[in-house]
Amino acid sequence: MRRSGAAEVIAELREILAEATGRAELAGLGEQVPLFGAGVGLDSLTGTLLLREVHRRFGVDVAGEDLNLDALATLGALAAFIAERTG
Amino acid sequence: MMVKCVIWDLDNTMLSGVYLESGSQPPPPDPAMVAVAAELRDRGIIHAIASRNPPEAAQYAEKATGLEFAAVECGWDRKSDAVRRIVADLAMAPDAVAFVDDDLYERAEVSFRVPEALVLSPEDMADAVGWPEFSPTVVTAEARRRGEMYAERRLRQEEARAFGGSRDEFLRYCGTQVSIAPATAADVPRLHELSVRTHQFNSAGRGVTEPELAMLTSSPGHRVAAVRLHDRFGDDGLVGGCVVEAVEDGWTVSLLMISCRAMGRGVIEALLAWLARSAAEAGAATLAVPCLVSPRNVPLRLALASSGFRATEGGTPDQPVAVFSRALDGPPPDLPEWASAA
Repeated sequence: MRRSGAAEVIAELREILAEATGRAELAGLGEQVPLFGAGVGLDSLTGTLLLREVHRRFGVDVAGEDLNLDALATLGALAAFIAERTG
Repeated sequence: MMVKCVIWDLDNTMLSGVYLESGSQPPPPDPAMVAVAAELRDRGIIHAIASRNPPEAAQYAEKATGLEFAAVECGWDRKSDAVRRIVADLAMAPDAVAFVDDDLYERAEVSFRVPEALVLSPEDMADAVGWPEFSPTVVTAEARRRGEMYAERRLRQEEARAFGGSRDEFLRYCGTQVSIAPATAADVPRLHELSVRTHQFNSAGRGVTEPELAMLTSSPGHRVAAVRLHDRFGDDGLVGGCVVEAVEDGWTVSLLMISCRAMGRGVIEALLAWLARSAAEAGAATLAVPCLVSPRNVPLRLALASSGFRATEGGTPDQPVAVFSRALDGPPPDLPEWASAA
């Protein structure tokens, strides 16, 4: 488990998102852009890959702790969720 | 737990000899193992290779055995890493695979690091053909074509990697067709198979028997839908289904299930949109999908959350259930353009 501030976390999440979706352009995604919206279109496959990598890198089990997966609303929400649990 | 994929070592397992030590003539396949693999293939079980050999060894094994391998890991890493990569590549769970290797140390290494996998020697495997884990009660048409479907899947994935657009654009490019229709008696065996085989997209976490499904398809208080998928790469047949209780002014989906092979191809979105539209047309005010909370069906929860459903906690501490629901006021969602409903 690592200690990370929200800014470092966001940078890493962008990398993870780009890899999970296979879309390099998402490495520049804004913090407030909805992940489930038409633009990013995170689905059950890419979402699972993202959550798995987040669990592996940060030791945080988002799905286990967040029933509604509100933490996946945006990169900002996800970073805050992780930072709270690793700070 | 039914085994969906057998992962084979090559040297002294699928092949009777060591590939790199056989001089000019690669070792012939072991006829007993080939016969076992062919029998399992005919039951809908697919095969993969995990071998400490160059890639040519796998190509040789495919030609020499006449078998299809849905995934191949040839390299010099730990066998357990190769097994894990195959499991991820095939979108399976580790407890759905068997691993066959003549080498005692390899078997121990994989058992230690992938405890959920069924680890066997070649002698065990010859015997295991008769075990329940390898013996589905009914072999459906989808099961018989499973090896071919995985070959089609590999081609589709290669094109997906090279494709530059969004996922939806790719689905359109593939000519994806999702068809949703009321289930008939003929669909019951395959729906039963799906209920026991699916875990990642299974809301109830348990199988439903054929008699129960047959009763539900003819019950006036229930709707059972069958979901089919095909595109220009191939026909996946019946890949999902749902059972709905049409109660008062709310519809409850008592079972929602989709094959993990159909993940990422727009099927769950189409089914959830169809459910919302059909419920609204029938005058229902809400649509609820109770979902067993388990680490296994996170993909289903993701799909529900991304389709506008909100969860409230329910069930018991032993069996936590999240009831995902959405109101049906407002305009009904559109069916994606690749979906059609009967």
